[in-house]
Amino acid sequence: MSDGGRESERGPEKPAPQRKPGGEEFARAFVKVAVAQICESEGFQSFQQSALETLSDVTVRYIRDIGKTAHVYANQAGRTESNVFDIIQGLEDLGLAQGFLGASDIEHCLASSGTVRELAQYVGESEQIPFAYSLPQFPVVKDRKLTPSFLQIGEEPPGEHIPAWLPAFPDPGTYAQSSTPNDRTIELKMAKIEQENQRRKPERSLLNVNQWLASNELEGPSSVDAGDAAKAKQAAAKAKQAAESNPFLAAPLQYGEKEVSSVVLPAKTKLSNDSTTGNPISKYHGMDNHVSVLEAFAPNIEAMKSGLRDSEEGHKKVLLNTRPTVQFKLGSGKKYLGSMLDSSPQNKSFEVNESWFGRLNEKDDKKRRAEQILKESMGNLQELDHL
Amino acid sequence: MNHNKQQSSDGGHDDDAALSDFLASLMDYTPTIPDELVEHFLAKTGFQSPDLRLTRLVAVATQKFIAEVASDALQQCKARQATVVRDKRDKQQKDKRLVLTMEDLSRALHEHGVNVKHQEYFADSPSIGMDPASRDE
Repeated sequence: MSDGGRESERGPEKPAPQRKPGGEEFARAFVKVAVAQICESEGFQSFQQSALETLSDVTVRYIRDIGKTAHVYANQAGRTESNVFDIIQGLEDLGLAQGFLGASDIEHCLASSGTVRELAQYVGESEQIPFAYSLPQFPVVKDRKLTPSFLQIGEEPPGEHIPAWLPAFPDPGTYAQSSTPNDRTIELKMAKIEQENQRRKPERSLLNVNQWLASNELEGPSSVDAGDAAKAKQAAAKAKQAAESNPFLAAPLQYGEKEVSSVVLPAKTKLSNDSTTGNPISKYHGMDNHVSVLEAFAPNIEAMKSGLRDSEEGHKKVLLNTRPTVQFKLGSGKKYLGSMLDSSPQNKSFEVNESWFGRLNEKDDKKRRAEQILKESMGNLQELDHL
Repeated sequence: MNHNKQQSSDGGHDDDAALSDFLASLMDYTPTIPDELVEHFLAKTGFQSPDLRLTRLVAVATQKFIAEVASDALQQCKARQATVVRDKRDKQQKDKRLVLTMEDLSRALHEHGVNVKHQEYFADSPSIGMDPASRDE
């Protein structure tokens, strides 16, 4: 019976796409073909896919059961190789469910077992159905080329602790540095890294400049090269600009560099620990948000301005964000959560400002100027309120 | 007592002779399941035998088993078709294609001691609940 004679609907085997390749798939595909051929000889014209797979699975299990049982019987008899009687016993075990002639005989010769007779009957009656495909011998044993040992090469192992029958070490050229096409990618990467390093150099010098500006007060960049002096000056200018625009880039102050006053908490400490949350509190009265935000940042603005003045002296200041614990509000009849201002807000704010300024020990003229600017700005804000 | 091809001889050797004759005849008979396949699965279980006749024996036994199951399933299929009576017989004979279905197969296997339960349907296909013989998966 050739391929053309087969009427089964299943075409040539193609494994399901999502099945991962394994050694079992190859064999199972052929089992399916064989089972389909047997069923076809019985009279079936087509199969359900799942039915065919189930039946082929049962077939595989049957074969394996015979083999396992035969092996067990051989081992019981003290042999490693099975012979025909082991197989017959296995067949009897498996055929007990269906029953065969002479199954109930307690002692009977295996050679005349009912299973054998039935098999012989089957062989005699049924016609041969040759398998549709020709199978190669499988699984194919791959010929592995092993690494030759030291002895085989004729080398001396590089060390007394290494016996000569072990496989030899690989050629040093395979793992050492060499200009091969693979290294070109490595070189490209190195070039990229170098570019980044060069880009980072001015940034690094900027940071360095900031640091020794803070420490030396522009005395003498002894550690800096002459060639970098110009660069350093440029970097210094950049540093100033950076500090002006972004206070977070300013170099930190050293301890004891700047005298700061001790913190005096106000009497009403309801919201004293919420000094940093002054912003959200002011937001609760969301009428003029921008006003309250501005006033919250008023000390920052002031500090920045003073910082501007002082930068010429080589001082960089940390913004005194958290220093004042006093809440001061601009003058309108706003009610606050925990009103801690007794007197009219307007006057009190100014008083508080002045007292805060009064606490600072450094009273330069520049500070005064800053105060005035702040007052003016607050006055502007007041006018905004009245609008 | 059917012996395949026998010269009748007396005694206990009869059976042995029969067996050896049978095994010899196996070499003439080519089972449907090829030898390499059977050897592959037998090797997985630890079955060791250099004798090719034994592999053929296992192959023939398996083939007989499958044939029995298939014939039982065929009978089930034909019985099912016979019960589905049509009004107009001459119009469409029940010569529909004989399809091996899971239902018939599970019934046939049950008699041989294999319990197979198949999922009735998966609710993701439009042909759910249709007559299984009329739809080919």
